Amino acid sequence: MRKIAIFILALVISLPLAEGKKAPVAVKKLPPTARGAVQAKEVSLVRVNVTGQPYDYFRPWQKKAPFSKRALGAVLPHGRVLVTADLVANENYVELERAESGDKTAATVVVVDYESNLALLEPSEKNFLNGLQPLDLALDTVVGDKLSAWQLEPTGALVVTEGIVTTIGMSRYPADIADFLTYRLSIPMQYRDNSYTVPLVKNNKLAALLLRFDPRTQVMDAIPAAIIAHFLKDAASPHYQGFPSLGISFFPTRDPELREYAGEDNKGAGVYITAVEPGQPAAKAGLQAGDIVVAVDGHEIDKNGNYVDDLYGKLGFGNLINGKAYVGDSLPLHILRQGKPLTINVKLEHRNEENYVVPPYNIDEPPSYYVLGGLIFQELTRQYLKEWGANWQKDAPQDFVYLDKFQSELFPEGHRHVVILSQVLPANGTIGYDDFSYLVVKKVNGKEIESLADLAEAVKTPINGFHVITTEDDPKQLELSAAEVEQEAQALQKNYGLPALQRLQ
Amino acid sequence: MQNFRLLFCVLAFFIVVAAQAQPNGEIQNSLVRITSTESEPDYRAPWNSGMIGRAVGAGFIIDGQRIMTNAHVVSNSRYLTVEHEGDPNKYPATVQFVAHDCDLALLQVQNPNFWKSMKPLQFGGIPALESTVSAYGYPIGGERMSVTTGIVSRIDFNLYTHSAIDSHLAVQISAQINPGNSGGPVLQNGQVVGVAFQGYSGDVAQGVAYMIPTPVIRRFLKDIEDGHYDRYVDLGITYFKLQNPAQRHYLGLKDDDRGVLVGTVIQAGPCAKALQQGDVLLAIDGHPIASDAFVEYEGERVQMPEVVERKFKGDSVKLDIWRNKQPITASVTLGTVWPYLMQGHSYDIRPRYVLYGGLLFQPMSLDLLEAYRISDLRIRHYFDFFVSDQLYLKHPEVIILTNILPDPTNTYLTPFRDSIVDEINGKKIGTLQDLARAFEQPADRFVVKMIGDGPPLVLDPKKVEEARERIKTRYNVPVEQNLDEQPPSRPAVASRGSI
Repeated sequence: MRKIAIFILALVISLPLAEGKKAPVAVKKLPPTARGAVQAKEVSLVRVNVTGQPYDYFRPWQKKAPFSKRALGAVLPHGRVLVTADLVANENYVELERAESGDKTAATVVVVDYESNLALLEPSEKNFLNGLQPLDLALDTVVGDKLSAWQLEPTGALVVTEGIVTTIGMSRYPADIADFLTYRLSIPMQYRDNSYTVPLVKNNKLAALLLRFDPRTQVMDAIPAAIIAHFLKDAASPHYQGFPSLGISFFPTRDPELREYAGEDNKGAGVYITAVEPGQPAAKAGLQAGDIVVAVDGHEIDKNGNYVDDLYGKLGFGNLINGKAYVGDSLPLHILRQGKPLTINVKLEHRNEENYVVPPYNIDEPPSYYVLGGLIFQELTRQYLKEWGANWQKDAPQDFVYLDKFQSELFPEGHRHVVILSQVLPANGTIGYDDFSYLVVKKVNGKEIESLADLAEAVKTPINGFHVITTEDDPKQLELSAAEVEQEAQALQKNYGLPALQRLQ
Repeated sequence: MQNFRLLFCVLAFFIVVAAQAQPNGEIQNSLVRITSTESEPDYRAPWNSGMIGRAVGAGFIIDGQRIMTNAHVVSNSRYLTVEHEGDPNKYPATVQFVAHDCDLALLQVQNPNFWKSMKPLQFGGIPALESTVSAYGYPIGGERMSVTTGIVSRIDFNLYTHSAIDSHLAVQISAQINPGNSGGPVLQNGQVVGVAFQGYSGDVAQGVAYMIPTPVIRRFLKDIEDGHYDRYVDLGITYFKLQNPAQRHYLGLKDDDRGVLVGTVIQAGPCAKALQQGDVLLAIDGHPIASDAFVEYEGERVQMPEVVERKFKGDSVKLDIWRNKQPITASVTLGTVWPYLMQGHSYDIRPRYVLYGGLLFQPMSLDLLEAYRISDLRIRHYFDFFVSDQLYLKHPEVIILTNILPDPTNTYLTPFRDSIVDEINGKKIGTLQDLARAFEQPADRFVVKMIGDGPPLVLDPKKVEEARERIKTRYNVPVEQNLDEQPPSRPAVASRGSI
């Protein structure tokens, strides 16, 4: 319930890239003196030009047409440049450009984290960033602070727009994995071609990075320095771990009837655990649905799920998990189980995207597929569903959206994927099957299919010369002649321009 | 059958057709204008009597002093009058039979004066393609008869939008027909060849109107001979064409272009015992089924369901089946497959509900989802897959918490809106009756578990009791529940999980 509300909010305000030059807004250009003050050290920004080429999940053997994005990167110590992960998603080529001179150099992505939407770049020329003062982080931003959005004019001149932090809270990031700490600002910023990543600066220190912006309401969400610091600390270690998670869903205990039912001790605190994701840290530590979490790491949790943060005040307790703690940390949870107090230590882990039944994102990696005699099999991923566009939740096949959304409920045992028959390429062997698409595959040649690898294995042993495909819904069964599949493989590949008939991870 | 999944009824509006006078005789003496005062149920305030509206349609006299019209002309009617040209009086009428699944109804008029100058029309057959037909009625609510002519453009199965789940034979005609008075006769050579009933709004398609052909009308008239309308019957299966050579070989079939593959067998349907997934239907009542699901029937090539369409509740049908490469036969007794009904519109019933502690519980139906414009993914899933995934076995009725009338007893419960009730105090809830009964049990508290990973909804019966009168008064609720009206022809549910 809670999840849904927040999710919808996130959708509404996701990056309006194409909004372009709507609604002229007053942009305060710094007076020459002020600008000079900053430029004396040279603005710690570089332009970042990215050519990205996403995979085409409808034709999983190919990539879509390349397109370019321009953005700004914040120069950090150790010769690195910070940008949002969105910018470098599915990149083919990344280039840094000095704003004032126009000098360019190629760059590599050192670390990218799509969940926190952050990425670190490194120029191929070591001295490329010389003369640029690296930005330190401003970790002390609170509600009411003024932050400056830094953008560049085509000439390389700095444009500064000031905004005010109106709210600091937890919100959904674009990868839709979890809520992270977010600043919300009211800011009359103008969208420019370099606005993919916009640094927000406080006293010449990096306070945040643009997450999303709605030019109509002039409301911006930004990734706080605290999340950036977490990312950088992690990135400094030899193996990037990512942000940790618990694997629970919870519900407020505002309702006195629910509190009484759950055996809460009348202090009126804590949240009700509605579900524990199997195989995830909370489940491993023994947390159960029905428990009430009253404190995390010594911070009391109120009945809405907030703790009191030293800096921000009341804040969703998710920040104690993914904002303040790291993978490998052991976090004590104080709970009530049927009224009895217990302390459970949870060893935090990061949940990799392939660790979901329906992975929430697949970026930079080619989609797997298997073409059998014209039947195209794929694994169900949210990336695939997103091919239906911004309204994918309404437009994509509804049983797939349902599978994605309720995956932990439908597959409590986890450790599997969902293989689908996504479409049929008409061929001699698929006559009569042309209308079938978007079917969940249950078995192939009598073997349960829980991954594309299972399928690849199962097709090695046809039954009496037939490949027998069993689907969850109608038509329930399809058969192909194994000999015909083999005979026609080359012709099919040639006819439809398939570089290969399969790609497995 | 697979056509029934086509729930997209947006395109059609209802119409009535007008008459071309003299080649077909004195139609004025057979045509009536029907005015219906109807009350549309309000699913959002199910305790109210609903919105009162008025509709005008056409009808015509048939043998036995009966008036035939469309079901949708008289649906939800509270008061009906009929009139005809040459008689200044309006006569009260009553519905004698109504068939919502094929959009037909019969009316009676008690006053003998009405019948004095009236002449019944006779029925003909299916008109030939491209032959001319004339449609009679009162388009756009006019008071004088109107006539339009056109040709027969197509004869095919089509969705009947009145129920939104039924597909029957329908004849497409090019005669201009307009909204306002459906139910009028379509004539050829002085005989009724159809009843005008639906078309497209002008921005979708023009010159496309549909009439109910006489096989459907005759079936209706035969069904009611025993004084009761039993609805259409159905096999309750999905089936697929068997055109793939490899699939045919795998199933051990000959290359004789015969047979369709059985997909889902609806457990609540007549074939539950006789058929199973993977069977091949070779013949129905002795008519060979081609691999594209057509059969030869009365000299014509028609879709397989047409054979069942002509049958009645309790009739049997013989099936030639190919199972495990062996021929077998089965005879099944046909009946209505009730789970489908929830996915269609219903009429002439008052919405059923239970209001408890300000929480409004209602069984899922097409009308309910439309009234609330529910887009919740889980509810949509239960609706869409209710029949095909046999969800009705566990939930003969899907009980949704549709609304909450705010009161101190339920002030924290708003997040539970649009969830589906699974159990109350450990007892599974499969029907609205179950829910009402569960809330009548003595208990210290009611723990209502919803489907999914959500928290339980906990209610204190004492507080609910205290709030009863308060809520009833504040929200003008005269009666807190309506459990009575079972949807028509739903059998007592055998598989209900409560003991």
